[in-house]
Amino acid sequence: MKIKINKEKTVMAIAIGISCFALMLVMFMQFKVVRQTNITEIETMRESELRAELTSWQEKYKEINERYQEITNTISQYQNESESDQQTAQLLEKELEQLNLALGKTDVEGQGIIIALTDNEGKQIDDRLVDRIYPEDLLLVVNALFGAGAEAISINDQRIIAMSDISSIGDVFLRVNSERISSPYIIKAIGDITYLQSAILGKGGCIDQLKEAGHDATVTEGRRIEIEKYNKTIRTDHID
Amino acid sequence: MIIIAILIGCIVGAIIGINAPIIPYTYSTFLAIAVVAALDSVFGGITSVLKKNFDLTIFISGFFCNSILSIALTYLGQKLNLDIYLAALVVFVGRMFTNLTIIRRHYIEKWMTKKQENVENVQE
Repeated sequence: MKIKINKEKTVMAIAIGISCFALMLVMFMQFKVVRQTNITEIETMRESELRAELTSWQEKYKEINERYQEITNTISQYQNESESDQQTAQLLEKELEQLNLALGKTDVEGQGIIIALTDNEGKQIDDRLVDRIYPEDLLLVVNALFGAGAEAISINDQRIIAMSDISSIGDVFLRVNSERISSPYIIKAIGDITYLQSAILGKGGCIDQLKEAGHDATVTEGRRIEIEKYNKTIRTDHID
Repeated sequence: MIIIAILIGCIVGAIIGINAPIIPYTYSTFLAIAVVAALDSVFGGITSVLKKNFDLTIFISGFFCNSILSIALTYLGQKLNLDIYLAALVVFVGRMFTNLTIIRRHYIEKWMTKKQENVENVQE
């Protein structure tokens, strides 16, 4: 009887032991899985989680893509702006250069003619005294040259600009740019040689008239004539 | 002897469970539902012991059948895209609470009777 009970009890104990073993085994396996699994890892996720994640990432991607597009647009705008700035700067520089050339603030060189006038005042030619060269004579020459498209003119290295004056000091000297000059007068002009020559030479031209008056006048042409810049300050004190 | 068997079973199971290889997270639902089913069986067993109608065969078969069935149901639920394991969970946990109530009542009643007897003894 005792053995029988023991046998039953043994079977029972073994059975319960096995079930306890199974329970604990499964529980601890599960504990371990839950503890060691990184929920954010993609391999361990369930389909629905993956789907949600994918959607959120897609949205994020969309947002970031939009942002990227915006930034790209902004960058291209800035680039355009900087390019146009550069262009503006180049244009301005070019304009400045041109203005400086026109104003006479830079040394220039180019094709043109050189007129050399020598005052023969007091000489006796054909029973008459030769009169001096007047500022009007020079003005005529300069005017004729400008009329023929001269781009730069100087008299005895005094550049003729908008503020230049040509007048006389007393009976001997002429005055250009408030500087005293005297014979011989070297007038340099840059421009189309043919036009310039045709404007001052020829019958009845200003050179012809000067020659008739008894002065010496020679006209030479040059491929590279250098004209110095206006070497005084251009004053704008009274221009508001 | 039974207690020794329970202890040995628990300890060996825990050790092997700790050292077992990790199963994929996807299948951990199956294990979890099996654990719940087994726990339900355990509480059922305790209740039946208290009620003195404990049958080893029923206990063991219930223990393993419930687990396997719940796993099978969960698997079916995954295939059907329906969370059947939730239903199994509700049933198991509900039964666990019922069984716990029975166990609690049994011991409280026992304790109360004992106390009353003591009081009566003192009075005598």
